[in-house]
Formats: sequence, structure tokens, C-alpha cells
Amino acid sequence: MLAALRSRYLHLYATSLPSSSLTNQSWKLGFSGLNQRFSSSGAESSSKELLSLQEVEKVLSDVRADDVTVIPVGNHVDWADFMVIATGRSTWHIKNIAQALIYKVKQKQLGAKRKVLPSVQGQETGKWVVVDSGRVIVHALDEKARAYYNLENLWTGKAGQKEPTEELTKAFVKVRRINNSKKPAQRSPF
Amino acid sequence: MIQPQTHLNVADNSGARELMCIRVIGASNRRYAHIGDVIVAVIKEAVPNTPLERSEVIRAVIVRTCKELKRDNGMIIRYDDNAAVVIDQEGNPKGTRIFGAIARELRQLNFTKIVSLAPEVL
Repeated sequence: MLAALRSRYLHLYATSLPSSSLTNQSWKLGFSGLNQRFSSSGAESSSKELLSLQEVEKVLSDVRADDVTVIPVGNHVDWADFMVIATGRSTWHIKNIAQALIYKVKQKQLGAKRKVLPSVQGQETGKWVVVDSGRVIVHALDEKARAYYNLENLWTGKAGQKEPTEELTKAFVKVRRINNSKKPAQRSPF
Repeated sequence: MIQPQTHLNVADNSGARELMCIRVIGASNRRYAHIGDVIVAVIKEAVPNTPLERSEVIRAVIVRTCKELKRDNGMIIRYDDNAAVVIDQEGNPKGTRIFGAIARELRQLNFTKIVSLAPEVL
């Protein structure tokens, strides 16, 4: 698992910053490599993003996705800047939304030596498809799934925050069983 | 290091409370599962009046382990408990909310749905 992960990381990394592969290889420069890695991920997100928010919105309006909501989540989490939630009318429509986004990424990287594609999850069933293009995460759901998971509520406002913490305390409370084995002796000592 | 017969907590609101691993999915004879691996598990304890019941066989993704997770940059993460999130065959989570902190490796392993439901990502 970790090996695959690492190779994927390096692959992405090598494509984004070819010059830094040298520092990665020499373990003695571990600290500089580490710093560079963190900074490179930040730089990558700003300059060489797979899809920008405007492009995502344009693609979604082109494929006529309903009810598109853009939620800035930069202050909630550090791994993404925007969540885009869209509703599709059928499983075909949802799959087509994902395909259109992938096509857009491919068109954008035409002529590049090595193309980097976003990771797509849920493509087989088409109930909830997530296209993870770096800082912008696109969720395409059908109406039922959208009502069920209620992602807007989770990422906006405090109402979504309150409910989980309450359930969290409920979930983690453990009741210790009463230990009956060491009952104090009933009989009085005299 | 999750192996068959390991009991795990459930980190979502699907209705299960405790799971027992009965199989690690991957290669044949695979011994241990780590964060981000899928296991087959049986529900040992469930909240009453929920769709999931005791002794039901489900799939789950491991999100927290007591065994430490090492990253390339030298960071080590270990949690107090072993916890998993119940998923269906297609990889959609059964619950709608996830509790506690999870590791960002799950995103690299294509569990973005779980990551986007989580309150905190380490």
C-alpha cells in the first residue's frame, strides 16, 4: 500500500517539479527535500492546478448540472479550497459530468509530456462521483444521495458542526461494567 | 495492524458500534490491514433501531490504528483506538458523518468521499 502511495506521490511530484527529483533521491538532504515538498505542494496548487474554479463552473453549466453550489472551505480544512456540489438527473448524467471534467483536464494538458489526471471515485455506480482535482473537489450526486449526505450542511455554518460533536461524545462514552466479584463480605466480623 | 478477530470501533453514524474483522481484502493470505485498507467485518454491537444489525457482514475501511503510520517525511501518527468506516460494495459510506480525526493518506488511496465527510484531517 505504502509503496504504491509513494510511487504515486513521486510521480505527481516529478511531473510538477522535475528539478527537485535530485534532492528527493539523496537522503542526506532529507530536510531540504522535506521543506521543498511542502512548499512545492503549495506552489503547485496556486500555479499548476488541474482545474480552476471558473473552468469547473463552466464545464458544469455546459453539461447542465442542476443546483450547483460552490462552498469555500479554505478556513475549515487545509486539504482543499473549494467544494463544488452538483446534482445530476440520472446515473448517466452524473457519469457524464465526471467525464466532461476529465476531458477538460486532458484538453488543458494537450502536448504535455506526461498528463496528470484527477482521481475519480464512484464512477461505476454513478450515485455519487467525486472528482478530486487538487484544491477543487467536485461532487456530483443524484438527488437522493444529496439529501442523504447533506454536504452543504456539513461545510457551511455551525449547524453541521454541532450535531457530530454531540454524537461523538455519545459514541465514545463507555459504560464500565459493575464488578460484582469483589463484593464486601455481608457477614459482620464479630 | 488489523487481522481477523480484531475488534474495531466504528467512526461513523451508520448505526454499528463495534466490528470484528474476519478477512483482510487484498492478496491471498494477507496478514495485516493498515490505514486505508478494506476489510470484511461482522457487526458485533449495533445501535438499536438502525438499518445495520448485529451479526451482519459488511465491508469497512480502516481509518485509525494503534499501530503507527509512518510518512516519508518522518512524521509518525498513531491513534488511541482502531476504528473503521462502514462502506458498501461500491465504496460509498453507509453513514453520513464521520467522527474523529483521520489521516490524509485516505485521499491518496481514493477514499475522497470519506475524507470530505470527516471533521478533521491529519
